Amino acid sequence: MTTTEFLPGRGAAVAATLFRFQSLFGLVLVLVAAIVFSPSHDGFPDFLTGENLFNVVRATAEIGIIAIGMTFVILAGGIDLSVGAMLGLAAVGSAVLLVQDGFGLVPAVLLVLAAGLAFGLLQGLASAVFGIQAFIVTLAGLQVARGLARIWSGGQGVAIAYGDGPGEAPVAFSLLGERTFGGLVPVPAVIFAVVAVAAIVFLRTSAFARHVYAIGGNEKAARLSGVAVTRVKVLVYGLSGLLAALAGIIHAGQLNQGSPNDGAGYELDAIAAVVIGGTALSGGRGSVSGTVAGALLLSVLNNILTLDNVEANVQLLIKGLVIVAAAGLQRLRPGP
Amino acid sequence: MEEPGTPLVAMTGVSKAYGGTLACDHVGFTVRRGEVHALLGENGAGKSTLVRILSGDVTGYHGTVEVDGQTVTFGSPLDARRRGIAMIPQELDLVPGLSVAANIFLGREPHTKAGTADRKRMHRETRELLARIGIALDPKRPVGELRTGEQQLVAIAKALALDARVLVMDEPTSALTGTEAERLAEVIGELRDAGAGIVYISHRLGEIGRIADRATVLRNGRVTGEFAARDLSAEQVTEAMLGRPVQALFRVRHTGSTGELLRLENFALRPRRYRPGRREPAGITLTVRRGEIVGLGGLLGSGRTELLETLFGAGTPGRWQGRMWLDGREVRPRSPRHAVRLGLALVPEDRRIAGLALDHSVRANTVLSVVDRLATAGFLRRRRENATAGEVLGELGVSGALADPAGTLSGGNQQKVVLARALLTEPDLLLLDEPTRGVDVGAKAEIYRLLADAAARGIGVLLASSEPAELVGVCDRVVVLRDGRSERELDTHDAGEAELLAAAMGEIR
Repeated sequence: MTTTEFLPGRGAAVAATLFRFQSLFGLVLVLVAAIVFSPSHDGFPDFLTGENLFNVVRATAEIGIIAIGMTFVILAGGIDLSVGAMLGLAAVGSAVLLVQDGFGLVPAVLLVLAAGLAFGLLQGLASAVFGIQAFIVTLAGLQVARGLARIWSGGQGVAIAYGDGPGEAPVAFSLLGERTFGGLVPVPAVIFAVVAVAAIVFLRTSAFARHVYAIGGNEKAARLSGVAVTRVKVLVYGLSGLLAALAGIIHAGQLNQGSPNDGAGYELDAIAAVVIGGTALSGGRGSVSGTVAGALLLSVLNNILTLDNVEANVQLLIKGLVIVAAAGLQRLRPGP
Repeated sequence: MEEPGTPLVAMTGVSKAYGGTLACDHVGFTVRRGEVHALLGENGAGKSTLVRILSGDVTGYHGTVEVDGQTVTFGSPLDARRRGIAMIPQELDLVPGLSVAANIFLGREPHTKAGTADRKRMHRETRELLARIGIALDPKRPVGELRTGEQQLVAIAKALALDARVLVMDEPTSALTGTEAERLAEVIGELRDAGAGIVYISHRLGEIGRIADRATVLRNGRVTGEFAARDLSAEQVTEAMLGRPVQALFRVRHTGSTGELLRLENFALRPRRYRPGRREPAGITLTVRRGEIVGLGGLLGSGRTELLETLFGAGTPGRWQGRMWLDGREVRPRSPRHAVRLGLALVPEDRRIAGLALDHSVRANTVLSVVDRLATAGFLRRRRENATAGEVLGELGVSGALADPAGTLSGGNQQKVVLARALLTEPDLLLLDEPTRGVDVGAKAEIYRLLADAAARGIGVLLASSEPAELVGVCDRVVVLRDGRSERELDTHDAGEAELLAAAMGEIR
C-alpha cells in the first residue's frame, strides 16, 4: 500500500510550484545543458557568444509568434493546422506585392496582415457555421493556403531586391533582417518580444480572454452563461491567422524572398511549443508565457544540436523525445 | 448467515487525504452476507471516497480493507471486480454509442466459433437480465437514446451480469421515477435474499428505512453514528449528518406576488431535426408572476428540461409555435446570450456537464456571466472581480478560497456557485433545473432559502424538479407536464405530494 499524498505539507506546495513553472525550469535545464555540452574556443562556450544567443532568439521569433496565436486557439479547445502554410502564403504575398506589384511598404504589410486575419476568420466561420471540427477545416485551410501561395508565386520563390526602381522593394523592408539597439538585437526578436508581452497581458486581464478560457474549460457551461461562444471562437482563429501572416512577413524580410513552400511543418513546431509550455491540448488551461518558454526551449535545443554537429535526423529524434517528456510531465501535474 | 464471524466486507481505520483535506479519517464499516448497508452523509462527508476505495478506484490510503476475512489491496476496479465487488457509480460508466447488450457485455463479449462476437447470445442473456429487473428494453437500442432512469437500470443489469457478491450503489435512485425506484428496491431485496452484500448511498432518507438493514452516518470524514435501519428516525439521522438539530427544511410560504412576468400560451417547438430521447414542448400554457416560485412537475421524460432550455434559447433548433411574453413584451430568445440580455438566467440540470469548468477557479466560474460588465475598456481588475465574487458567494454561504478550482468544492457548494453566477446577471426570471439533485440536506435547505430570498426581491422563479416533496414544499403553484404538454396546475396550498404524483401519471382528470 503506498502512502503517497497522505500527509499534505511542504512537499506538495513545492511540487505545485515546480509544475506551475514547468516550462521555465525545462528551459533553464536545457540552457545549462547547452552551456555544458557546447563546443568552446579559449575556454568560452560557443553557445554563450552574443552572436549565437541572438541567433537563437531570431530563430525563435517566427515559430514563437505563430505559437502565441496557436495558444489562444488551443485554450479555446481548438487547433489550427493552417499556420505554416499561411506563413508561406504571407511571405509570397509580401514579395509579390512589394516587388512585382509595386506596392508601398505600409499598404503591402497591411494587406498581407488583413489577408491573414480574413483567412483565419473564414476558417473559424466555416467551423462554427457548418459545425465541422477545426482539425478538418484547418487541414483543408492548409491545402488552400499552400495552393494559393504556389499559384500566386508561379511555383517559384520570389526574390526581393531593394531600391527605388521598378521591381525593387522599399529599403525599409530589409530592416526585418537587420539588428537594432546598436546593432545588437535582431529586429524580429524585438517584434516577437512586443507581441509576447502584449499577448501575456491581454490573456491575463482581458474579458475576452476569460471567455476563451471558459470555452476551453467547459463550452456548454460557457454558452449557458451567456458567453458569445461562436464569436469568440471565430475571432481566435482570426488572431491565429493574423499572427501567422506577421510571421510570414518577417520570414520574407529575413530571407529576402518569398517562397511558396516555406513554413512547411511550422504548425507542428508551434503546437510542440504550446504543449511544452504546459497548455492543455484539451483547452481551458495554459499560458502565453509558457508557450514563449517552450518556443525558446525548442530553439536552444536546435541550436546546440547544430553547434555540436549532431546529424539532422538524430536532432528530430531528440526533439520528439523532449516533446513526449514534456507532455508526460503534464500528466503528473497535481490537478484538482 | 452461516459464518457470523467473518463479514463479507470489513473496512477498518481507513484514511485518505487529498491535498490538505482528509476525505476520510479513520473510518470503517462492515457488510455481512445478505445485508444492505446504507452510507449516509452530506456531500463531502467521505462516502464516495470510501466506496471508491472499496471498489479499487481510489488507491493510496491508510487502513485495511478485508474481503471474506482476508486483507486485500486493490490496484484497480478490475482487481475489485475479480473479488466479486462491483460498483455502480453516480456518473454511469456506459458508452452512449453502443447498444444495451454491448454495454452489458463490454470487455467480456461471448464469442462464436468463428471468433466473432456472439450477438444472439448477448441479446438473449441481456433480455433475461432485464426481465429480472423488470424492465422491457430492446437490447439492440443504443444506450444514448435511453432516458436517464433507463440508463441507470442498464448499469445495474451490467453489475448483475458480473455475478457480483458485493454491489456498491452510489445514489441509484436520484434519476429514477417512483415506479422505477420501487422496482429497484425489489431487486435489491432479491439480491439480499440470495446472500449478496449491498452498500447503498442515498440522500433520500425515506427509502433508507425501507431498503437498508443498517446505516452508517458520516460527517467531515468521520463516522458519527451507526443505526439499525429499522429504528431510524429522520431527526436522529439528520442530526448525525449535520452535527446540529434540524431546522425546517422548506421555507415558510410567502404571499404577495405581484404583476405577471412570464406568460406562455400554447407554447410548442417543432424541431428542425428530431433528436432522440427528447420531449420537446408541445403545448404549454403557464404564467409566472413576480415574486412567485412556480414548479414544473411531471415524470422523467415529460419535457421539463426541454421547456427550460427552449425558453432560454438553448433548445433544439426549430420553429416556435404559440407565444411567449416577458414583462408584457412578446419575446423569442435566440441564444442563451440573448436570453440573458432579456433578463433570464438558467441553472442547468447537471452542474458538472453544463454548469462549471471544474478545473477553473471558483472566482472565474462565478463571474463568468458578467465579465463584460466588470471590465473597463475590455480589461478586468482582480480586486473588482474578487469583491463581486466574494460578496455574492458570501451571501450564499459558500466557504473556501476564491482561487481554488471549482471541482474541489462539495456538490452543494458547486451548485451555489452556479446559482451565484445566475444571480449576478440580475435576472427577472430565474429558470432552475433540478437545483438540488445530489445535494445534501443542509445545502438543500440553504438553496431553498436563497430561492425564497430571490422571490422576495421580486424575481420570478420557474423550478423544475422530480422530487414531489420539493415542489410541494417550495413552490406556490406547480404546473405538471406530461408528454411535453402542461397537463394540470395545482395550488400547493391545498394539494399534496400524492395528488402531484397522480397528476404526473395522468390518473386524475
